[in-house]
Formats: sequence, structure tokens, C-alpha cells
Amino acid sequence: MSWKGAVSQTLRELRLHMCQTGPGSAGLRAFVQTEYPALKAQYPDLPVLVREAAGVEARAYGRFAHGREQRLTLEGLSQQDVAAKLKQLVASSA
Amino acid sequence: MVEVFVDGRPVQVPEGSAAIQACELAGVEIPRFCYHERLAVAGNCRMCLVEVERAPKPVASCAMPVMPGMKIKTNTPLVHKAREGVMEFLLANHPLDCPVCDWGGECDLQDQSMRFGSDRSRQHEPTGRRAVENKNLGPLVKTSMNRCIQCTRCVRFANEVAGAEELGTTGRGNDMQIGTYIEKTLATEMSGNVIDLCPVGALTAKPYAFSYRAWELKRTESVDVMDAVGSAIRVDTRGTEVMRISPRENDDVNEEWISDKTRFAFDGLKRQRLTHPLMREGDRFVPCTWEAALGRVADAARAAQPEERIAVAGPFADAESLVALKDLFNRWDSEHLFLETNAPELVGQPAGFADLRANYLFNATIVGAEQADAVLFVGTNPRHEAAIINTRFRKAFLHNRCDFAAISPEMTLNYDCVNLGDSLAALTDAKHPFFERLRAAKHPMIVLGSGLLERPDAAQHALHAAHALAKTCTNAAPGWTAVNFLQRQASAAAAFDLGFAATTAAAAAKRPAAKFVYLLGADEVAPAALPADAFVVYQGSHGDAGAALADVVLPGAAYTEKSATYVNTEGRVQRVRAALTPPLAARDDWAILRALSEFAGTPLPYASVQGVRARLAEVAPSFAAPNVQAAQPTALAVAAAVAAKAKPSKAKAKALPAVTLPVTDFYLTDAISRNSRTMAQCSRAFTHQIAESAHEAHIAV
Repeated sequence: MSWKGAVSQTLRELRLHMCQTGPGSAGLRAFVQTEYPALKAQYPDLPVLVREAAGVEARAYGRFAHGREQRLTLEGLSQQDVAAKLKQLVASSA
Repeated sequence: MVEVFVDGRPVQVPEGSAAIQACELAGVEIPRFCYHERLAVAGNCRMCLVEVERAPKPVASCAMPVMPGMKIKTNTPLVHKAREGVMEFLLANHPLDCPVCDWGGECDLQDQSMRFGSDRSRQHEPTGRRAVENKNLGPLVKTSMNRCIQCTRCVRFANEVAGAEELGTTGRGNDMQIGTYIEKTLATEMSGNVIDLCPVGALTAKPYAFSYRAWELKRTESVDVMDAVGSAIRVDTRGTEVMRISPRENDDVNEEWISDKTRFAFDGLKRQRLTHPLMREGDRFVPCTWEAALGRVADAARAAQPEERIAVAGPFADAESLVALKDLFNRWDSEHLFLETNAPELVGQPAGFADLRANYLFNATIVGAEQADAVLFVGTNPRHEAAIINTRFRKAFLHNRCDFAAISPEMTLNYDCVNLGDSLAALTDAKHPFFERLRAAKHPMIVLGSGLLERPDAAQHALHAAHALAKTCTNAAPGWTAVNFLQRQASAAAAFDLGFAATTAAAAAKRPAAKFVYLLGADEVAPAALPADAFVVYQGSHGDAGAALADVVLPGAAYTEKSATYVNTEGRVQRVRAALTPPLAARDDWAILRALSEFAGTPLPYASVQGVRARLAEVAPSFAAPNVQAAQPTALAVAAAVAAKAKPSKAKAKALPAVTLPVTDFYLTDAISRNSRTMAQCSRAFTHQIAESAHEAHIAV
């Protein structure tokens, strides 16, 4: 997936929470494994904080200018759905 | 498993355990002096005598392996009589100075003589007790060798755990002495532990000798922050003073040892403390009110552009204040959050370093380090940066025949270590025979040091080269992670977890000169890195190098004075507990930042400590799960994939500067230890090896 121009100017940080083993996080885990290098290649300075902890719900937080945050629940979604929802999140401007 | 009977009760014990362990499992307490479960068995105090059926004499239970069907009796007239006899022999040569002994009240000999000794003495002669000269073991351990009962726990500890093989015994029988033979200080960073191990008052603490009695102290269980290990400690206080710090047991982290800095640096908490908000007027600081100080800081922050505001976190910053600082700066639309390890040049870190926990944590875990069979250190001296983890490496050296090599300047470790030079090229081309050993190892470890972060390009290169090397370790056990990052500052892992220091080197180059600098306990920032016209705020506990640069100083709490969260180098979330209240007008660090946000007109959405902690979990979920979670399969896979793309080359490695070690003096590394008199003495005696003058030695002994 191309990430060129996909990220809004006001996005400051993307945080991805997931469980290391839980089935609910499988989509997000697969997304991180396949898409993280491409996203990082396009936006090396954008922090994409991948945080694994046992038993947490798969979630994404986008932090935009002036500390405004948006939360997204990604529990149980497939890799494609995760990608689509995250694309929406990073393209929005808080 | 073997079945044995203790006082008629059957117990299942593992094969090869000692009779004393079987008794312990059965819930029977056996008195002992020389036996210690973390040290080799000596069997020389004879206090643990028990009766074994069909044995002609009482046997020392610590040295007696269990046999199937063995019948141990611990409560017979013979055993009582034997204990009384042993006690009488021990006390025959033990001075009667309990009232002036520092160990009084906590002394095993005192307790056990009350419980197991005879109720009357047969000794009437006023003279005749053995006299032994005191030894000078340096500025930390005070000796009173008349009290020694020759259990040899200290000797075994020094030889096995600390690797200071100069301590030993001379002579036999009644003439046996503990010492170094040729007078020598006990030069190990773990020496304080012999004080806890000594069952009598022969070895006590020199820095705080005669300053307290054990029963006056209030005990608070806490966690150490002098390095990134997070050792479990107990803070003993009297009134408003810390009197002593001693280890608590935590098998996953520090077993029951702590380093000398952890134990003795606390006197630094009583010197150079910031107690009132201060404002610079000309070349001096003037005390002022919190309102005035915070108002001035908020005005200065407002006057700067978002890109001109930067924050630097120091070694003792707790997670609560880090998240408050980050949220505050994010609200001001600034992303320039640095960690002191990136100082002095404030250059940030490799792109994406904080993204993956596997990049900045000690992935093999502290317990795991014990299993290692080939270890490569890159730019780190574990003895200085994580003395407790170094004891695990020494265990690996002793028990697994672990091989060690280091890419670093020359350093002295307490096990054999091959030096591979100080160029990262040695890591990239991996030609040395040691690398063959590493590739063949079942539990290989590549340990990257936090000093590498001073040069982001070097850190990135080392990280990628380490992953490339780890890929060639095909013999590694499944689930084992070879690439490890060793932090040296208690704040580091939490700061990375929270997405702190997210500024990359490339972005830092484009950044305009800073106008507003917030130092959260950061003392290592080079004055040259801060523009002369920048407004500098220092928030912290000590008036050290950082406060000297400041325009406004905000007094914060030290680690013994707040209830706060820290993350250790393996990602373990732990909480320190307040043993005292902050001095005078000093306040909890996160509360200061919360108040500042109010003054600046950008209030943070939490006003209670519960609120901050909920926010912590929202930023990094590991804060909600307090157990260590070392396995991060996704992050590891991604880190390896990123590294594979980067293809670290030897040519690139050659262009990088030589690797240096960040800690040159173990005893003086931060604001607390720099203000500690004890640590200054240690630095003199151990780092610089300046002998005490005869006069000083006389006073000290």
C-alpha cells in the first residue's frame, strides 16, 4: 500500500496498542508487520509507537496539532479493515 | 523428588537438596549462620545441627544431602543440647558489646542465642577472649573483627557474586581470620552486600555508623532509581531523614543484592536540595512564591514559537511527570522532547527508535541474562551501567562457561572478556573468532549500550548491524531474543515508552534556536547546546549543573519523597513509594507541571494521580499491566525487517567515531551521587585509587 500523501499535515504521532498473542489484535499485528516499513519510509519523522502488552484491546490513537487526540478501536478487524480505518484516521485533521 | 520425614511429617523435596531445605519446606526453622541459599555451602558454623535417624552423631543439615526415606529430627534433647553447645563456643569469643554495636536488634547471633542458647553462662574469667585486628576495607565497610564468627559468608559472596577474589581466610581454628592478607580495599561495586550478609556485627556500614538503632526506623518498600535496573529496596527513615537503604528480595530483578551506589548515595538527598522556587536576578537566585515562578515560566513559554520550545528529561524523571511534560508540550504544539542520554548536543535519536519497544529494551530480561552462553557488549560497561545485571553475567560466566567480548575502550570486568577494539566496524564485518562462538551459541546476546545514543547515526548503525548479526545466530533457542539494549538511566525506558524524545536527528537540524528550555531534572546538558538568550527552567530536586543554567528553578521531589512509576531497562513497570515528604516548598513533579499548565492557559485534563496513571495507560498500555512483558514478537519482527533493509556496511561503520563509554566514574553519575559525600570518598578510593591518609583511616576505623 502506498502511503504517499496519505498523512495529514497536522498528525503528530500515531500510537498502536495491541496484544502480542490475542486473536483480536491479529489484524493490527499483520498490518504493522507488512505496512510499518512502508509508512516509515514515507514519513521517517512521524512517530508510530507500536506498543504491545498482554491482553489489551487493539487500538489506535492519532495525536494531532495542539494535543488533540482521536481514538480508534481495531479489535477483531482484519488487516484490510485496519488499513482502511487507519488511513482515514491519519488523513483527518483532528 | 525424594520423600523425607521431618519430625515425622513427610515432605517431597527435589533430589540433591540439603536437609536444611527439606526442613524449611516442612515449615521447621533451623538456626544457621553460615548457610545462605544464594551462596555455596560452607558447613562451618555447625549451628544447623539436626539428628538423623541411624546417624551416630548430630549432622550439619546444610551440608547433608537428602536421601530417600531419611528421617530428620529437629526437636529432640540431643539437638537442643547440640545447639546450646555450638552457641556457647561461638559466644566464648564474641565480645559483649551489643549495646554499642550497629547490628544490635537485627543480629542473628543475638536472636539465636536468645532462642537456642543456654540460659546461663559457664564463663567466669574476665579476660581470654580472642582479639583480632580490624581491617580497612575502604570507605564503605566498617570492620569490627572481634565480633566475627568466621561464617565466611562475606568471603563466599565476594568470590562468587562480586568477583572480588582478594577477600579470603588465613589461619586455622581459633586463629582463623577474614581479610585480604595484604591490606587492600574491597574494590567492588557490590561490597555493601556483605553488611547484610554478616550474621553478626563484624561488618557494618561505615558511612552511617552509630547514626541509628534498628528499632527507631520506619520502613518503606520502594524501588531504586540510581540506575535502570529497578532494584527492590527498603528505605528506612527516622523523622524527616533517610537513614539507610537496604535491598528487598526480588528474584526477577536483583535477587537480594544492591549496588553500592543504590545503598550509599542517599546522603546526597540531604545536600544541595532545592526547597523554594527561585528566580534569577542578575547573577544570583532569589526565592519567590510558586505563583510568581509559575507565572513567569508561563509568560516565557507563551512568548516563544512552538518550534522554539524544547524539553529535556533527566535521569530520575518518573513516568507521571514525563507524561505530564509531554502532554503539556504537545498542547503547545512542540514535539521537541529530549532525553538526557541525547545530551549534551540535543540531537535526538535515530528515526523510529522509540517506535518499537524491542529497540530500546533489554529483551532477554534480567533473569534471562543468566542463561547466556555468548555475550557481545557494544559501547557499554555493564559493571558501571547496571551492576546488578552484571552479577547475572558473572553467574553465566561461572555456570555456563559464557564467553564475553566487547566493542568498547578497555574496561575491567569481573569475568574474562575479549576486547575487539572500539570501532563499530568490528561489529559489521564480524570476523573475529568470537563471532563464530556467538553464532553457534544457544543463548547469544548482543548488548547495546545507551552511550551509543549520543551519536544517532552510530546508534542506528549498531542497531542494524546487531540485527544482521542476530540473524546469523541460527543456533539460538526458539523464542530467544539476541538483540538487547541496556539503559543506564531510570527514566529512559518510561520516556521511550511514552514516545518521548521523538525528535529525529534530521528534524533537529532544521529546528530553530530554542527560546524556551524546560529541564526536568536534566543536569548533563552542555551549556553550549542552549542558546544564550533562551529562557531556561529547571525543575528537579538538586541544585546541580542544570539549576545553574536556569532562569527559574522549580523545586521537585526526590525518589524517596514521591509515589511514582518507573520502568526498568527490561520494560518492567514498578512503583516507588514515598517514605518522606518533599522538603519545604518542594512538590511532586507531575503536580508542578499540572499547575504550570493552568498558568499557561492550557490545562491538562487530569488533576489527580489516578488521572495521570489512567493517561499513562492510554499512551502506553504496558503501564496498565505491571508485569514485565519481554516478548514483543511483532516489534522484534518489524525491527529485524527494518534492519534487513538498511544493510549496514563496513565502510559506513569506518566513518563513525570510535565507541566511548558513557560512565567513567561509577560513583559520580548524577545529581544525587555527585552531592553524596560517601560517593565522593568511593570515587577517590576506588576509581582514582587514592589511599586514605593514616589520619583518616584512624578516624574511620
